[in-house]
Order: sequence, then structure tokens, then C-alpha cells
Amino acid sequence: MFLWIAVFLVVVGLSVYVAQIIALRRKLNETYSSDFLPPVSIIKPLKALDDNLFDNLESFCNQDYPEYEVILSLQDYNDPAYRVAEKIRNKYPHMVKIVIDNSSIALNPKVKNMISSYYASRYEYFLISDSNVMVDKDYLRKTVSAMTPDVGLVTNLITGVGEKSVGATLENLQLNSFIILGVSFLDKFLRMPCSIGKSMLMRKRDFEEIGGWSAVKNVLAEDYIIGKLMHESGKRVVLCNYMVKNVNEYWTMGRFFNRHTRWAKIRWKIAGPKYFTEPLSNPLFLSLAIPAIDGFSSLSLSFLSILTGLKIAMDIYIGRLLKTPLGLSSILIPVKDLFVGLIWFIPFFNCKINWRDNLYTIGKNTVITPYEGNSSLRFIYNKLKSAITG
Amino acid sequence: MLLCDFHIHTKYSDGSVELKKVIDIFGQSGFDVIAITDHVVNGDSVIGKVAYKFRFTITEKNFDEYMENIKYESERALNKYGMLVIPGVEISKNYLSSEKSAHILILDIKKYISPSESYESIFLEARKQDALIIACHPHHMKGEIRNTLYLWRNREKYSKYIDAWEIANRDDVFNVVSLKRYPYIANSDFHKPRHLYSWKTLLNCEKDIFSVKKCIKHNKGVAITLFRG
Repeated sequence: MFLWIAVFLVVVGLSVYVAQIIALRRKLNETYSSDFLPPVSIIKPLKALDDNLFDNLESFCNQDYPEYEVILSLQDYNDPAYRVAEKIRNKYPHMVKIVIDNSSIALNPKVKNMISSYYASRYEYFLISDSNVMVDKDYLRKTVSAMTPDVGLVTNLITGVGEKSVGATLENLQLNSFIILGVSFLDKFLRMPCSIGKSMLMRKRDFEEIGGWSAVKNVLAEDYIIGKLMHESGKRVVLCNYMVKNVNEYWTMGRFFNRHTRWAKIRWKIAGPKYFTEPLSNPLFLSLAIPAIDGFSSLSLSFLSILTGLKIAMDIYIGRLLKTPLGLSSILIPVKDLFVGLIWFIPFFNCKINWRDNLYTIGKNTVITPYEGNSSLRFIYNKLKSAITG
Repeated sequence: MLLCDFHIHTKYSDGSVELKKVIDIFGQSGFDVIAITDHVVNGDSVIGKVAYKFRFTITEKNFDEYMENIKYESERALNKYGMLVIPGVEISKNYLSSEKSAHILILDIKKYISPSESYESIFLEARKQDALIIACHPHHMKGEIRNTLYLWRNREKYSKYIDAWEIANRDDVFNVVSLKRYPYIANSDFHKPRHLYSWKTLLNCEKDIFSVKKCIKHNKGVAITLFRG
């Protein structure tokens, strides 16, 4: 009985995976026709050194676009990214502006970083772009072409590139399968607004109407909340099929686990009960239930081997669709799926988040509060301290 | 202040990263001045012979090619990142005994210097080439089985030849260098990408090779910093 349920779930999982690939194919075939090219302010929040930071930033200064500015946003002169930002500004002095400010009040460090830059930006159209992405010359033109009057937010697909370590390989395999398939599926078949913080183009007017920075200053998934609020305000959220490259070269395994544990916790807090359907998009992990139930019989092991081969073949096909050939890294696909399957359980036991050395507790809709260790003990300690010190 | 690292290895010796990629790693991270300093190992010891066997050393044969490639990459680094790249080597006199071993950085080297020569000959040849002489990791390092203590043990004799001493190497800090008030710099001894995050030198001078060498020699406007990503 349990065996048949497991087999059924694996078959459903495979079907979902195929449906997601179809969604990605359709997404990649979309075209945008607008030739409206308004001036744009690109805001890039910087914090510490990302892999390939110089090239990432420079790629935004070489856009084939009539009028735009690039604002490099930092909170601290001592941030190592400041030196890179300074070099970019010296190279493109007419286009690049550096804003350093740490006075804004927000729990989300990325939002806190961007508030001053937002007010320093010149144009009505602004684009938030993470520091770890690199783009080609036609990025801005193609992204803006999806911005029609009924659209409130244009966001982009992301692909992982440049891996040179095992951690980075796992990261890019996950971005180029689970993540890109998931957002394409939600967008194409479920019509759910998907916004990805790595690239978000908006009008200031629309952004202010949904509450501006105040609406997202204390949430972790500011990108998701902006997209949701924009959708609720009646504006369309467009997932543009122009792919921005997330350059991940020398990631450690720890960093991979940290990011995907954080993202899993975010998805759990956003999706609620729907989070339980997520393992359906990881058929390889589901298939481990078969030998677990049936024992390591030749039949169950054959089933597992066939499924592993099938999953690797599908991910290689996705790599071809995305023009990011997998090569030898494809042998790590089963390992990655196993890790991601295990990470899926973590949000049920822990709601603590570590993001760029900041510790938070995450609540419903990703509302964050600073993590203070054992809160009851901390409360007693604070009470005693205030009683003693008067 | 210029952010500098004067002790970097590539695949030309025992580094794990190609020269071009090393330049990019430092350029992408905002460095102003770096020196490529692959090992030139003595062949008259067991350790030296192993280094030759596994090609963990620059030899007289490939020295010109090494310099040629550094020159090409330094032009690229200057154009793209505004980063100055200085050619150098790490003369590595390796023996089984730490007391006999020493490593010396020769910055702005022009011609091949044989590591099998005596210390005096090496120093004088470096001086002749107007190169900078740095005593690297001169004291005990944490976790190292074999240290390079010869120059420190014989500092009275050799300090007159040495332009600066490494006061910090990757994660190690050598207090003794500051106690003796010797000129100092700090380097990563870069072999792998994660070594980027380590001790570095900050120089308050112009970004050209003459000013950098002068600043280190005079040791005015020099600071060290622990570089963290």
C-alpha cells in the first residue's frame, strides 16, 4: 500500500517536473514589443565582496540604452565593496554615483541600504538590481520593453553561472533547475505574481502607492511582498524572460546550505500549507521512499537508477534551454536533490535566519524581528538587570 | 591608501589558480597593487628535488615565459581594473631543517636569480636589478610542520640586505618583527581563492612601481589590515 503511494507520488512528481519544463519553454518563447525607452535609475545595493563584483557592476555601465544612471549604494566606507565601487565610479564618472548612508531605519538590511539611494535617484523609473548579477548590453532595453502602462513591476529570470567550487556548482544547479522552473511554473500556469529581487523595475509612482519602503522595511522577502502588493493594487507583475546571470564562483558548501535554508524558511512563511506540495518538484528525493519501504531489492534499486538517469537527462535538457551546459557537474545533480530534499524539513524546526551576519527570527509573511537567543531567559536577564541598575 | 598584496602564487608553481584568474580575483576585489611571486626552489635538497619533479617551481627555462605572461597580464590589469601588477619570485631555499630554510620575495625582478647561490649572492644580484628584497614568513607559523627561520636566526648578518620583513602572512602575525622595529609589510601568501581574505598592506603613495618600492623601503605611510570579504 505505502509502496504504491510512494510510486504514485514519484510519478506525480515527474509529471510536475515535465510541466515545469513546459512552462519554462513557453516563458522563454515570449516576446515584448514596447519601444518605450524612459530614463532609468539603476540602484545597486552593495554589501561585502561578491564573486566577480567588478565585472558585475561594469556590465550595468555598458548598457545599450539612451539615458540611465547607476547608483551604487553602501552603508559603510569600510565595506570592502566600496573600493570596487570607487573604481567603477572613476571609470564611468558621468554615469555612476555612490551613495553611502546608514541612517535609514529598517530591519531588512538590503532595504535599509537602498532607501537613501532611492531618494537620491533622478528618474521616475527605477530598477533594483543585486550586486551579484551580471548582464549583457541589451538587458535594460529588453527589460524596459516589458513595461507597458498596465504593468507595475518587471522582474527577470535568473541563471547561475561561473561555478569553480563544489558549493558554487550545487548553487548553480539549484538555480538552473528548481528555482527557474518553479518561478516559470507559478507565472505561466498558476498566474501567481513572481518577483525576484535580483532585478525589479518599477515606477516610483506605483511603488509609493503600495506603501513604498515603509511597506517592506521589516520583512525579509521584500521582493515577494512588493510583487504581491503591486498585484493587489491592480498592476501586472511581469516575469521578463531576459535572464540575468547570478555569478557564483567560489561558494562553500556552508554558504549553499545557508542560502537555501533561508529561502526554504521564506517559502514556508509565505506559502503556508502549500509548502507541503513542494517536494513534488523533487522527484528524485521522493523516490528514496521506495527503497526505504521496499528495502534495497533489485527492483527498487533499478527504479531508483532509472529515475536518477531520467532526472539528470531532464536537467541537462534544461541546461541546453538556458544555454548553460552542465558538463561534468551533472553528476552532482542527485547529491544536490538529496540536500535540497533534506533542507525542506528545516523550516519546521527552526525559524532563525542568518543573512549577511545579521540574525533574525522570521514570522508570517516573512516579517522579521532581531534574534535575541533564548527570549525567555533574555527577558528574565533584562528584568533583573533593570531592577539592579534602577 | 593603496590596498596591496605582494605575495601571490599561481599555477606557475604551487598555486591552485591560473595567472589570468588570479589577476581577475584581485582586480574584481578592488586591489590597487599586487605582486606575482611564484616559487623558485633550490634543487640541492630532497624537498627541492620534489618541487622540480612536480613542477612546483619556476626554472631558468620557463622564467622568460613567466615574465612575459606577467607583463601581458599587468597591462590588462592596469587597463581594466587600474591595478598595478609587479613581477616577482619567491626564492625558496628549502631544507629538512626549519633553521636552515628561508624564503625571500624579490619584487620587480628583471632576470633569473638562481636559488642555489649563497644568500649574499642572491641579495646582491637582487640589488643589482634594483629589486625589492622581502623576508617572508620569517618566524614560527601556526600549523606548519616546517618553518623558514634561517633569516631571522641570522638577522644581524642579513638585515642590511633586507628591505622589509613580513610582519603578517595570511593568518599569522609575527610580533618579533615589530619588536625589532624592522620595516614591515603584510601579505596573503595566496595559493587558493579563500586566501584572499587575510592580512594585507596599505600604502600611502602614488600607484607606480617606483613610489611603491620607495614607500616600502622607507616604511613611512605603511599600515597593515585584515582584509575580510
